[in-house]
Amino acid sequence: MEGSLLAKIEKISGVVPAEGEVPLFNEGEAVAIAMRSPIGHYRMPTYLRGKRGKVEAIIPGMAVDNEEEGYGRNAGSKGHYYRVAIPMTEVWPDYIGSANDGLRIEVFENWLEKPSDV
Amino acid sequence: MVSENLVRKLPNDIGGDEAGKIERVEHELLPWEKRCHALADVLDFHKIINTEEKRRGVESLGAEMVGKLSYYERWIVAFANILFQKGILTPGELAMKMSEVEGRFSDVPNAHHS
Amino acid sequence: MSDHDHDHDHDHAPLTVDEKPGYFDVMETAVRELLIERKLFGADEIRRQIEVLDSRTPALGAKVVARAWTDPDFKSRLLENGRTGCEELGITFYDDTQLIVLENTPDVHNLIVCTLCSCYPRPVLGLPPDWYKLKPYRARAVYEPRAVLEEFGTSIPHEVEIRVSDSTAIIRYLVLPMRPEGTEHLNEAQLADLVTRDAMIGVIQVEYKKEAA
Repeated sequence: MEGSLLAKIEKISGVVPAEGEVPLFNEGEAVAIAMRSPIGHYRMPTYLRGKRGKVEAIIPGMAVDNEEEGYGRNAGSKGHYYRVAIPMTEVWPDYIGSANDGLRIEVFENWLEKPSDV
Repeated sequence: MVSENLVRKLPNDIGGDEAGKIERVEHELLPWEKRCHALADVLDFHKIINTEEKRRGVESLGAEMVGKLSYYERWIVAFANILFQKGILTPGELAMKMSEVEGRFSDVPNAHHS
Repeated sequence: MSDHDHDHDHDHAPLTVDEKPGYFDVMETAVRELLIERKLFGADEIRRQIEVLDSRTPALGAKVVARAWTDPDFKSRLLENGRTGCEELGITFYDDTQLIVLENTPDVHNLIVCTLCSCYPRPVLGLPPDWYKLKPYRARAVYEPRAVLEEFGTSIPHEVEIRVSDSTAIIRYLVLPMRPEGTEHLNEAQLADLVTRDAMIGVIQVEYKKEAA
């Protein structure tokens, strides 16, 4: 993706970050939550699958994918978590309340996608 | 219900589900419940059972047990199952230890005696 | 506890129970003792952790809130990084979670929930109340937060944005409620006394009732 943090870092300093070290999504970027149904254990509630929102913040640091951690992998693949903002009216088409009301959730990187038609 | 939905949606994944009025219940933890909570933390500190494994262990009890067991009842049963899966304890060992523990109270009246 | 007479002899002196422990109570004891026998951890670690848990109550969170109300520099550090802000006041994060402090303003009202389990800012507030862990709150807070708030007696004007944070991973949330009007003369400790657990979950607001004087 053009203008990504990764591109900027490489251009400015020549520093080569480790695989996965640079967040794939930027603050303010439009994102969609993936539409998939893992079984056994997952940490992405079903009510938010496929919903669109915006990255409000990149959670500092990296953490183990908690869906792997659930099976005792205490040093599994690390990645970034994002605080994602989703309008309530996007989550619930019949939402009763103000159109400004919103939901916030932390999402592990592998659950985020670029929205298909943006 | 389509049976696959029982697999695709975990029993604790309830955001947005139909639910009744919020009864503002709370209770002081019973001594064993507090010990169970401390046990959970210590198991996580040592990564014997991390917090995420505990959550997975509770989910895998299935909807009936998740619905009918109390909060810490779910935890202790999940711990036992995970310890069996990891080969740290066996079901027989736990059963024998439970008999031993019960034996310490043989001269104590049953709970809810009237 | 039921009443009982204790005139029969007990030769197992350390036991002070008056009822047989229940099935799950026995299971907890058995699991713990087996793991201690295997030297996977020590009995002292459990005792210590019980002390840790007992030391965490909403009074800690209330202190954080009152400090934020009275010290703007602290407040900006707290909003920047909730965990290090709390650590400044000596509150440790034994469960290795991070903390985001969510500020309520005249334009935004925050509410916290964990739909998947019972994530809660335990280091700062202690253990959550039962209703926070039960289905009605967890299921409805993300779907009809305004109706949920009404059940707690909290009415938020339509033009104020409701922001529900669903906690699922490494981050915990603490709501920084709005300081009520008419409290300019109160000191930090008096302010902390006004701050309740439920206000830091976001289901109610902090109120100050002026003494009729």
